[in-house]
Amino acid sequence: MKSSLLNMVLVLFGITAVAAFLVGVVNNITKDTIAQTEQKNKDLAKLEVLPAFEGEAELRDTVRRIGDFEINVTTVKANGVLVGYAVEAPSITRNGYADRINLMVGFVEKNDTTIINGIKVLKQSETPGLGANMTKEGNSLERSAVGKEPKTLAFAVSKEGGSFDALTGSTISSRAYANAVETAYAGYLWAKGELPSAEDAMSGATKPNEEQTTNVEPEAQKGEQNNE
Amino acid sequence: MSKLQIITKGILKDNPTFVLILGMCPTLGVTSSAINGMGMGVATMVVLIMSNMVISLIKGIVPDKVRIPAFIVVIASFVTIIEMLMKAYVPSLYASLGVFIPLIVVNCIILGRAEAFASKNSIFDSALDGVGIGLGFTLSLTAIGAVREMLGAGSIFGYSFASDVMPLLFILAPGGFLVLGYLMVLFNKIAKR
Repeated sequence: MKSSLLNMVLVLFGITAVAAFLVGVVNNITKDTIAQTEQKNKDLAKLEVLPAFEGEAELRDTVRRIGDFEINVTTVKANGVLVGYAVEAPSITRNGYADRINLMVGFVEKNDTTIINGIKVLKQSETPGLGANMTKEGNSLERSAVGKEPKTLAFAVSKEGGSFDALTGSTISSRAYANAVETAYAGYLWAKGELPSAEDAMSGATKPNEEQTTNVEPEAQKGEQNNE
Repeated sequence: MSKLQIITKGILKDNPTFVLILGMCPTLGVTSSAINGMGMGVATMVVLIMSNMVISLIKGIVPDKVRIPAFIVVIASFVTIIEMLMKAYVPSLYASLGVFIPLIVVNCIILGRAEAFASKNSIFDSALDGVGIGLGFTLSLTAIGAVREMLGAGSIFGYSFASDVMPLLFILAPGGFLVLGYLMVLFNKIAKR
């Protein structure tokens, strides 16, 4: 079709208007369903990282903000008995290879000790076949933490003196993973009231005060050798 | 050209990856395993069929000078709508294919077929062209992904058959170039006969 100024303007305007309208309509239809699905997946993840139990689950959320980040500690009870804590936490001082990593970490208490019962990756955009292997069951990172007492763990990869066996070829993703587990542990301690000052666990990277926003220093992490 | 030929030429004579050498960015980016390659291929095929049909439908009213921006708007809207629908109604499929969907917007295969085929042919033929090129892309990506996964991770479609000590190079970017190059040679040698 031959081009003239009028028909070019009209056709482009028409096509963009129709496209914008359709995208808007679909967004309106789907956004509630999408939000529901995401919430449902999170609730499922909360129960997956905790041991199986009988009866109706009773969830109570405590949210703590650190700068732009949110740590969500869910206390899970069944028939009035405490099952454990499911903590949703991002990697704060460490980025993954592409983006931050969000984990759901389950803590249970047995005979006065705390044990990491399970870890589930909620959000990651690492390289498929490398860092993305952190979502596989029984990967080396998961094995390094699950079933262990968090207070005995050093939250760094093993070649930097930590307790986490890095995924093959994915040191950066593994560091972010270890950091997210550390953040989750700090969130758990806060929820328990065992950590009046956040500096103890997060070495100044985070502050417990909700009003105060803190700039996160990427290198201010405890137990990490700066060898980059 | 018969209807069957429109489909088969996308797989052999006009294979997008090995002959037309289009869409190299997603090809190298996602083929670290066979299942990833297949996922990207299938997602591209769906978008390609739909965008080919719509572009063939509107080809009569789009002035020549603005056809490229018009096609890009159509493709990008399609991808966005498909992403939202998948996220809402088939979340399990979205969980495995979701990361590839936004990549399709910038896939030059889609724009290339819109320009070279759909803007000159009927709706039905354009849909068949989408099927053929889509199948060719899917098969090529699955092949590259399978070779890289076998050599680099010692598994195929996630089923492990070898120990952990495999040359990791093939999963990383350089291995993608190597495998793509050798498969391209092999494909063209066989296809020339």
